[in-house]
Amino acid sequence: MASMCEATTRIVPGAAVIELSGDIDGSAAAIMTAAYAEAVNGDSPEPLGTVVLDFGAVDYINSTGIALIVSVLARARAERRKVVACGLSAHYREIFDITRLSDFIELFPDLDHAVSQLTGPAA
Amino acid sequence: MTQVARPAPGKPRRLDTFTLASEPGNERLALARVAGTVKDLGLSEARLERLKTAVAEATMNAIEHGNGNRPEIPVEVEVTLDGDEIIVTISDQGGEAHAAQNAGDPEEPDLLKKLDGAQTPRGWGLFLIRNMVDAMNVTTDGQRHTIWLTMRTGGAAHGEHV
Repeated sequence: MASMCEATTRIVPGAAVIELSGDIDGSAAAIMTAAYAEAVNGDSPEPLGTVVLDFGAVDYINSTGIALIVSVLARARAERRKVVACGLSAHYREIFDITRLSDFIELFPDLDHAVSQLTGPAA
Repeated sequence: MTQVARPAPGKPRRLDTFTLASEPGNERLALARVAGTVKDLGLSEARLERLKTAVAEATMNAIEHGNGNRPEIPVEVEVTLDGDEIIVTISDQGGEAHAAQNAGDPEEPDLLKKLDGAQTPRGWGLFLIRNMVDAMNVTTDGQRHTIWLTMRTGGAAHGEHV
């Protein structure tokens, strides 16, 4: 099945950002796995203690997609990395609450809020 | 203010019925068609999103677990309005398959157990459905397996005022 998910990765100070778009469903498994590996193994001058999942351009997440997010979170926890998320719609924030993902993944309205929180207030 | 036409009490009205080939991804077709059918019935946006998720998950289960991803076996979807209740039924031909899947009273998904490897990361489908709609029922008649999703048009989602 062709994937309708796309992922791009980039580094911000102290964090790896995975920008997701399209559908987070079963077809996204390989893309999510590769994006995580690329993000945390990227060429960064400092350790990447946090992974930011940006859902701002995601249209659809189903139960298989939730399982993929659980897998990413499990891997990050095993590597002692924090996972935060941003850009979720109200509906998917509710699903993160119901599944308790939001107990383990701090949620921000958008990427700017997530990055500013990670990098701290300006001097 | 939006006026919503109501049927006479006690007279359920079938709004739509359709079939889908049992191919992965076709749950999106069911979601979109049901959303279009119920869009003028007074559901809030939050509750419409909940119903869409429940329909998609139930259709996925029917395609994958019920009909075994065999395109030639259709998933049947029906949408009925009964008073202030929207009832969506999703039927497949996998009565035995569902019974086998549910044998031994499957454990409720527990995120901490999943993170610790004590549960598979999957297994969220029925959990999500139950939490999305006002009522969920399952009936089996021989091989025909049907999930019934009920959503009242006037209810409120968590934290939502109507």
